[in-house]
Amino acid sequence: MSNTAESTVVVKGASSSRGALHRLIKQIPLPLIPLFIFLTVFFFLPIGKVALNAFEDNDGAYTLANIRLLFQDPYRLAFRNSISLGLISALVGSVFGLVIAIAIEKRGGVKLKKFIASISGVLANTGGVPLAFMFLAAFGPEGLMITFLKSFGIDLYEWGFTLFSFSGLVIVYSYFQIPIMIIVFSPAVSSLRREWQESAENLGASRFAYWQRVGVPILLPSFLASFLLLFASAFSAYATARAMTVGNITLVPLVIGSLLDGNVTINQANLGYALALGMIVISILAMVPYLYIQSRTSKWQQ
Amino acid sequence: MKKILENASKKLPSTIILLVTAFFIFLPLIGATEFSLRDGGPDKHSFQSYKWIFEQSGFKENLGITFQVTSLAVILNLLIMVPTVTWLHISGQKYRRLVEVVTILPLIIPVVALATGAQTALPSFLHNTVLELSFMYVVIAMPYSYRALDIGLSGKPLNTYVAAARNLGASWYKVLVSVIMPSIWPSVLAALFLTVALSLGEFTLAQLLHWTTFPTWVANVSQENILGATALSVGSLFFAWLLLFSFTFFGTNKIDRSKDEE
Amino acid sequence: MTNTSLLVKGLGRQFGNVLALDNFALEVPKGELISLLGPSGCGKTTALRIIAGLEKSDAGEVHLNQKNITNVSAHLRNMGMVFQAYSLFPHLNVAENVAFGLKMRKVSKSDRAKRVNEILELVGLDHHHKRFAHQLSGGQQQRVALARALVIEPEVLLLDEPLSALDAQVRTNLREEIRRLQIELGTTTLFVTHDQEEAMAISDRVGVMNKGRLEQIDTPDTLYNKPANDFVASFVGTMNHIPAQLENGTVELFGKKFPTQKSGNESGKVIALIRPESIQTTFHESSANAVVLTRSFLGANSRLICRTDDGTIVHSLMNNEASHSLHPGERVKLEILSREVMVTNV
Repeated sequence: MSNTAESTVVVKGASSSRGALHRLIKQIPLPLIPLFIFLTVFFFLPIGKVALNAFEDNDGAYTLANIRLLFQDPYRLAFRNSISLGLISALVGSVFGLVIAIAIEKRGGVKLKKFIASISGVLANTGGVPLAFMFLAAFGPEGLMITFLKSFGIDLYEWGFTLFSFSGLVIVYSYFQIPIMIIVFSPAVSSLRREWQESAENLGASRFAYWQRVGVPILLPSFLASFLLLFASAFSAYATARAMTVGNITLVPLVIGSLLDGNVTINQANLGYALALGMIVISILAMVPYLYIQSRTSKWQQ
Repeated sequence: MKKILENASKKLPSTIILLVTAFFIFLPLIGATEFSLRDGGPDKHSFQSYKWIFEQSGFKENLGITFQVTSLAVILNLLIMVPTVTWLHISGQKYRRLVEVVTILPLIIPVVALATGAQTALPSFLHNTVLELSFMYVVIAMPYSYRALDIGLSGKPLNTYVAAARNLGASWYKVLVSVIMPSIWPSVLAALFLTVALSLGEFTLAQLLHWTTFPTWVANVSQENILGATALSVGSLFFAWLLLFSFTFFGTNKIDRSKDEE
Repeated sequence: MTNTSLLVKGLGRQFGNVLALDNFALEVPKGELISLLGPSGCGKTTALRIIAGLEKSDAGEVHLNQKNITNVSAHLRNMGMVFQAYSLFPHLNVAENVAFGLKMRKVSKSDRAKRVNEILELVGLDHHHKRFAHQLSGGQQQRVALARALVIEPEVLLLDEPLSALDAQVRTNLREEIRRLQIELGTTTLFVTHDQEEAMAISDRVGVMNKGRLEQIDTPDTLYNKPANDFVASFVGTMNHIPAQLENGTVELFGKKFPTQKSGNESGKVIALIRPESIQTTFHESSANAVVLTRSFLGANSRLICRTDDGTIVHSLMNNEASHSLHPGERVKLEILSREVMVTNV
C-alpha cells in the first residue's frame, strides 16, 4: 500500500516538473512562438552556455576554479580597470551631457532639438576603428588639433599627453558617451514643467531653493539611471578599446578577446566563460536598476 | 532695444555651451579629414589615400560580405518582428509587457559575453558561414527594432482602423494591404534603418567569431597604412553619418507630417 | 482707498507685434472675488501673470496694500496661485505639497502639520495626506493646489483658469467650493476664466476683457442687463442680433416702437441686441409672425429657435409651461418684452 503511495508521489513529482515546463510553453500564444524560438537559440542558449561552462573545468566537472581565478591578477586588474573606466567615463559623460542637455532645453526651438537629436543618434553609434583613427589623426603627433593648440602655445605632447593611455581612452569614449547621455537624459529635462518652477516661485522659493527642493530631486533618478547606462556602455565596449590600446591597458573585453583568439593555456579553457560571466553579472547590476528607474520615472514624464 | 538684449542674455550661456560643444565635436572630424587628405606631408593635399582604399584587394570582397550579412539581418529582423509586433497591437495588451521585457534583455548582456557563448552554442550548420552573424545581429538589434515598431504602432489606433475597414466591407487581404501595411510602414522603415546601421558597423561579434567583414577588414588594413586607414575611417564615418542623419532628420519628418495630417 | 488690496494701473505688454495688454487698470477691494473674463488672447492671463510676478510688463505698475511691488521678485510677493493643471510637485505627496510654501517661510514643523491638516480638512481631502499627484483625480489635484495656495495665507489668491481642464460636473461643484472658501477665509481673489457662466456665478464683480483692454467691470447683474457695448453684450449670456432701422433714436421691432440708448437725432441701419428671455410668444397684435424651427429642452427652460416671416432667426428662452405645446413647424407670434432696446451700428 505504502509502496504504491510513494511511487505515486514520485511519478507525480516527475510529471509535474515536466508538466510545469509544458504548461509554460503552452501559455505562449502561437504568434509569439517564432520570436521565442529565435531568442532561445541565438540568445538564451549562448548565455546559458556561458553560465554553465564558467563552472566547468577541462573535463566537464563542476568547479569554482575559474571563478576564483577572476579574483587574481591579471584578471582582477582587468576588472578593476574596466570598472574604473566605466565609472570615470560615465562621470565625464553624464556631467557634460547634463550641462549640454540643460543648455539645449533652455535654448529651445523645435528645429534645433530635432537637429541635435539626429546628430546625437549618429554620434552615439560612432565607435571602434573609425572613431579611434579619427582621434589618432586629429590628436596624433602631426594632427590638426595638436598644431592648432600649438599655435596657442599649448604643446600637449610636452605635457606627456598620449591618446594611448587611460585618460586618452576616456576622452575618446566621451565622443559617444556624451551623446548617449543627451539622448537618454533630455526627456527628463524637458519633463520639468514650467508650472512646477512657477508654483515654487509663487510659494516663496528662490531659484536656488527651487533647484534644491524640486528640480534636483525630480531629475536625480533619471540622472542616476543615465549614469548606470553610461557605465555599462563603457564597461562593455570592445571595438574602440581594441583600436585604442596597444596592449598597455588590461580590460576585461580585451582579455576575453585574446582568449577567444586562441591565446589560451591548458587550464584556461573555460576561463573565457568565467570572464564573460563576470561581465554579465556586472552589466546586470548596472542595467537592471537602470531599466527599473526608467520605467518608474516615465510615469510622471508624460 | 533693451528687451532684445534682455532676451538674448537669457539665452546666451546656453548658446555658448552649445557652440563650444559643436566646436569640440567637429574639430576632430575636420582634423581627421585634413589628415586623410594629406599627400606626403601636412602641406600637400589630395585624394590619394582614398584612391588607395579602392585599390586594396579586400575592399570589394569584404564590402560585399558585409552587404550580404546586413541584408539577411534586415530580412530576418523584419520577418520576425513585424508580424509579432503587429499581432501584439491588434490582439490587445495582454502579452505586450512580456515581450517588452524579453526584447530588452539583449541590451543587458555585453556583446563580448554573447560572443563568447555564441562560439560554441550556435547550431553547427550555421558555424560554417559568415551569415551566422546575421542571426546574432537580429538579437542585438532587437531592443531597438522592437521599440521602433512598438512606438510607431502605439501612435495609431490599429484596431479601430481594422474594425472600420471590415465594417466598410474589406476582406482580410485588403485590410492587410490597404490598412495595416501603410500604417506600419514608417515604423518598419525605422526598424530597417536601425538594423542596417548596426550591421554595417558591427565589429565585436564579427571579430570574436573569427569572420572577416568590412569593419574587421578595415581594422586589419589599418595597421599597414595610417593615412589609408584614416581615409578609410573618415570615409566610413561620413557614410554612416550620412545614412543615419538623413534617416533620422528626414525620415522622422515623414512620420511627424503624417501625425499632423491626422 | 484703504480697503483696496490690489491695484494695477497702466499695464502694457507687447509680444512681438501683438499687443497683449493695452493700458490695463484694475482695483480689487479687500476680500472680494473679481473675475477676469474674456476670449483667448484677450490678455487676462498675461495680466494675472504680471500681477504674480511671473512676467514683466512693458509699462505700468502693480501695487499691493499701497506698496509698489512692480519690481519685487515673484517669490517675495506673498500671493497664492493656482494654475490650470500639472502644478503639483510629482515627487512630493499631498501633505508635503501643501506644506511647501510654509517650509519656504520657515514655519516650524509642528505648526506646518497643524495648518496642513486644517486646510486639507477645509477642502475635503483630510484622508489623502500620503497620496501622490498621479493618484488623484483632476478635481482632487486642483483642490490640493488650492489648499497649497491658501495655507500660506496669501495677500491675494490668483487663479488661472483652474477649472478649465475638469469635467463639467466637477467644474460646477469645485467653483462653488472655491467661492465658499474664499468667503470663509476672506481672501482677496482674482479669478481668470473664459467661461462666462463660471465668472458670473461666483464673482462679486466681473471684468470683461477684449484685445488687451478692460471693456467693463461690474457686478454680474449689471453686466448682463446693462452691457456697456456690443462686445460685452454678446460675450455675456446669449444675445439676439436683429437688423433694424433706427429713426430719430427709436427702432421699430415686431410691430412696436422702442426707444434706444441712441440720441433722438440719430438714424440709420442698426443691429438691435435683445436677450432671448425678452422674446416670448404672445397673442397680441403688435408682434411678429414666425415659424418654430427647433425646441431644445434645457431643464428649467426651453430654448426656441424661430424664423420670422422676414427671414430673421430669433432665439427665445421660455419656461416649459408656456412652450411645451410648441413643436417645430408651428406658427407663433413673438413679442419683445423690453422697455428699451440696445442697438449698435452695423
